[in-house]
Amino acid sequence: MSKIVKNVILYSVLITISLISIFPLLYLFTISIKPSELIFDTTSKFFFTPTFQNYQDIFADGRFIKYLFNSITVGVITVIVATILGMFAAYGFARFKFRSKRILRMASLIPQLIPPITIIVPLFTLFASMKLMDTQRALIISYLTFTMPLSIWLMTGFFEDVPIELEESAMIDGCRRLMVFIRVDLPIVVPGIAATMILSFIYSWNEFLYAVILTGRSARTLPVMITSFMTNKAILWGRIGAAGSLIILPILFFTLFSQKYVIKGLTAGSVKG
Amino acid sequence: MKMNSRIFKKIEPFFYIGPALITLFIILVYPLGYSFWLSFHNWTLITFKEGVDFVALKNYYDVILNIDFIHSLLVTFLFMFFAIFFEFILGMSIALLLNLGFKGRNFFRTIILLPMMVTNVVIGLTWRLLLNLEYGLINKVIRYLGFNAVPWLSKTVLAMTSVIIVDIWNTSSFVALLLLAGLQTLSKDLYEAAKIDGSSKLQSFMYITLPLLKSSILVALLWRIIDTFRIFDVPYLLTAGGPSRATEMISLYVYRYGFRNFNLSYASASSYLMVIIMLIFAAFLFRIFRKDY
Repeated sequence: MSKIVKNVILYSVLITISLISIFPLLYLFTISIKPSELIFDTTSKFFFTPTFQNYQDIFADGRFIKYLFNSITVGVITVIVATILGMFAAYGFARFKFRSKRILRMASLIPQLIPPITIIVPLFTLFASMKLMDTQRALIISYLTFTMPLSIWLMTGFFEDVPIELEESAMIDGCRRLMVFIRVDLPIVVPGIAATMILSFIYSWNEFLYAVILTGRSARTLPVMITSFMTNKAILWGRIGAAGSLIILPILFFTLFSQKYVIKGLTAGSVKG
Repeated sequence: MKMNSRIFKKIEPFFYIGPALITLFIILVYPLGYSFWLSFHNWTLITFKEGVDFVALKNYYDVILNIDFIHSLLVTFLFMFFAIFFEFILGMSIALLLNLGFKGRNFFRTIILLPMMVTNVVIGLTWRLLLNLEYGLINKVIRYLGFNAVPWLSKTVLAMTSVIIVDIWNTSSFVALLLLAGLQTLSKDLYEAAKIDGSSKLQSFMYITLPLLKSSILVALLWRIIDTFRIFDVPYLLTAGGPSRATEMISLYVYRYGFRNFNLSYASASSYLMVIIMLIFAAFLFRIFRKDY
């Protein structure tokens, strides 16, 4: 087989897979700019004049903006707390030798094994008795249950990659360990921290189960909001299309423009295992 | 001074690890302990004000003897098996493809990555419309080609097939990504040597790639088992567990019992059974791991 034929086959397979991957997302966007009467059209009509009515509709009553800010606030605070606490813990695991280290490190992985539905049952009762239902605080606390173990696990690997000689020479120069951590290790691990933060944010942004159980009208996030377009009377597909397109916009942005970090985060924890 | 520094050395790690572990203890260990306690008591929304009785293993009996629970468990395993099976075949093919050096590899890798990053709620809803019987695009195309529309979401076997298809679309790229990362650590020399010895490409794959990739495969498998076992968002929005509970995964079952009927003791017990099953899986896989090292 000549090289050209090989390349033609290779790229057509790749393009097919890519099209299958993004096709539903394109479809979602098409729905969002379709006039609503055409969505329920059962004939095979594929062309229409686009409209932005659905976007105007979801922005009209200000709820979308409110829940957008909920999603952002919860995501950002979760990421900051998980990253700071996780960073120190990861450094501790990577750099110290102590007796309970192995057990503690494995223990920080166990939350990943426990299904979220198991974790939410007691959190729900506790938040209810503490009058924390429908607050951003409740969501942040429950999101920390998965972002913190993730951060610790990922960043431990990144800190282990920093050559220990760098630290040793700084220590000889008389730096205290905390200073070494801040001056020597942190700058090297910045890409890893970025990967961890992006991934934690995406997971918080996408989270649905905790949010649907813990929030009502005030602390609701976007993934819960979008399901409110499924009313008893009808499913408002146009608005789902518009809200859905906007919800996935930051994800597309992060994945396309920081794919190196995203892939680093996704593979780092697992390949080293 | 010497004594002090020795003690300091001993406790120093906990200055770093302590805050995170204490936080995890408060937000995770304590609540899980509480629901473990709940699972041996009787807590329902109607009766909890009159006191919470100790009922020993009654909740666990109720769960295990409940036909719906067993049904959900079987449904979940069925889904898990078929979804993971096809995801590994597809994921491995994509990984091998992306491992060929060619122009634009990063670009394709990113595009293929998108389905697994996108919000699951949005995925569930989009596919629900795509597969809709009357006005979904897929049935429109099927009718356009002259066939009868397919009731993707309203017949039991088809609904399960749809949930599996959507999951394959959603996460094959994740499997591919992990396997690709493993493939990239393999040295080219091995393949050169095998080629010189006259082994075919298929033989190289069977006798070099697969054995060396074993740990990547196991890690990917473990993640997929964990994730398919806990799946909630996509079936909740795609089929809501229907028709007639054909796609009611275990998480949906616990959700229905715990949060619609507010019998939290029952929910605790059933969710703890999930943890036990998960731990058995994990222990089993870790054992296979151990053998390798």
